[in-house]
Amino acid sequence: MKKVFVLIGNYGSGKTELALNFAMRAARAGERTELLDLDMVNTYFRLSEHGRMVSMKEIRLVSPNFACSGIETLSLPAEVASAFAMDWDTVIFDVGGDAVGSTALGRYHEDFMELEPGALEVLNVVNARRPLAGTADRIAKLQEEMEAHSRLRITGMINNTNLAQVTGPDELRDGYEIIREASERTGVPVKYTSGQKDLLEQFLAEGHDPRFIGTPLPIKTYMQRDWDSWVRSLSTKQK
Amino acid sequence: MALTLMKGSEAIAEAAIRAGARFFFGYPITPQTEIPEYMSARMPEIGGCYLQAESEVAAINMVYGAAGTGARVITSSSSPGVSLKQEGISYCAGARLPAVILNVMRGGPGLGSIQASQGDYFQGVKGGGNGDYHLITYAPSSIQEAINIMMFAYDKAEKYRVPVLFLADGIMAQMMEPVEMPEMVEFHVDPEKKPWAATGWKPGDDPEKRAQINSLFISTEELSKHNDVLQATYREIEKNEVMYEEYRAEDAEILITAFGTVARVAKSAIDELRAEGLKVGLFRPITVWPYPYKELRAAADREGVKALLDVECNEGQMLEDVKLAIEGTKPVDFFGHCGSQMPTTQEIIEKIHAMKEGK
Repeated sequence: MKKVFVLIGNYGSGKTELALNFAMRAARAGERTELLDLDMVNTYFRLSEHGRMVSMKEIRLVSPNFACSGIETLSLPAEVASAFAMDWDTVIFDVGGDAVGSTALGRYHEDFMELEPGALEVLNVVNARRPLAGTADRIAKLQEEMEAHSRLRITGMINNTNLAQVTGPDELRDGYEIIREASERTGVPVKYTSGQKDLLEQFLAEGHDPRFIGTPLPIKTYMQRDWDSWVRSLSTKQK
Repeated sequence: MALTLMKGSEAIAEAAIRAGARFFFGYPITPQTEIPEYMSARMPEIGGCYLQAESEVAAINMVYGAAGTGARVITSSSSPGVSLKQEGISYCAGARLPAVILNVMRGGPGLGSIQASQGDYFQGVKGGGNGDYHLITYAPSSIQEAINIMMFAYDKAEKYRVPVLFLADGIMAQMMEPVEMPEMVEFHVDPEKKPWAATGWKPGDDPEKRAQINSLFISTEELSKHNDVLQATYREIEKNEVMYEEYRAEDAEILITAFGTVARVAKSAIDELRAEGLKVGLFRPITVWPYPYKELRAAADREGVKALLDVECNEGQMLEDVKLAIEGTKPVDFFGHCGSQMPTTQEIIEKIHAMKEGK
């Protein structure tokens, strides 16, 4: 059965990073994989910048018209239809941030509804270190808004709490507590907990309630940037 | 204090609010639209005013009006929008109004591109609008530094009664970094401390105490006197407010000069070059007006320094100030791109190698 993952969430929660990780993992397992860049909001640091790396892994990438061309009026390409019409093993939608970003999904409402029952996972990527996702209240509110705009029900959350290059062991743990509260309140289960392998293992060894961890998802960082010296100095300061 | 992961735009906007800004006037333009977006959500929460003006020209004139009451006011835009604001900025400077103006630079000239650039250095530090004026101009190179500067920017603006300009770029507004956000500052307009502010005058009040916000001086004597005051203020700022950073510069043979995001790239390049055994360091102006002429000269005068390399994401605008600082005492080379292409670590490394080989 075709599996369709839709990644939505707060700006900066790590959707693109996770979309790349989901896609790489699927491709590595020999699955026919399509990755759709549906971010209609952001013109910087976007998935389509990684087009060459993605196509080398035999992942098909669909990008908005004019993505990475320096034009800010992106438009939805007709090829999005291939996600529904073609016979993929895994399809991943990387969607723009917040409710405004998830609006782009509404256009495909009927296509999503026609998927086989159980095929669709709509995942709210949560980074509790982002100011607007730092409490259960805010997560619940954002979740409600994104559902209204996307015309989709969120089926799970991903705890992807991180501080980019200076992520430490506290991040996943604090995220776990906040997301657990949001999950209990909204009834949306935690499906995955993601992070760098060592930090993730450290977190898992702490013996938290597995119902609010879901499947552990060790991730690789693809969205590298070249301004790491300041962060390096910050890391030294913290030690 | 806990770190949070923030986008440059959000962080700069939140820092302005924490520093006491309660009025935002602006107009959307990529790559800084997240600033008005954030302000539109945040200002009502704290009893402030967010107003999307009908144009950049209107926005800067709203800044003039609100700043005239002594309030802490902010506007933001990107290059073409900041060009539109120049008349109002000159009026603010003329009327001695403290305010904060953000320029998230993108490619130019004209509409240019929506990608990051440093092409508005001249506009920011050499004038922009008409008349003899300066803006205290900060060029932060990390989001944390932008936050930290914002926390005292209004104090400086009010101390000297000058507008403050932030020269950021698209990368800084769009990238995310872990930051520490300082506590909210208590700020109220104190008419005792700001006797110049137009806070309300009723018929019958002392006419001598009527505040007037004005940049028009019909008599040449009066205008001349007014300009003397402005110039004396600028000399004072030059004396007190210069900020800069040196990075691995103490024993450098080649001294790189760079500001803002490009200085970040330069630091990465310097670390790699140092690992190869090459003595390369950085001099980074944090205030680009007042420019650290004396301090750069002192750094370049060190015996070991053989040459300077200025790196910018433009065709060599700060280069002129570097040369003014050096006064021909050492060779100054340049590397940069215009057209919004950020110089990369690798390019800087290659350029330094070429300089070493005497190319």
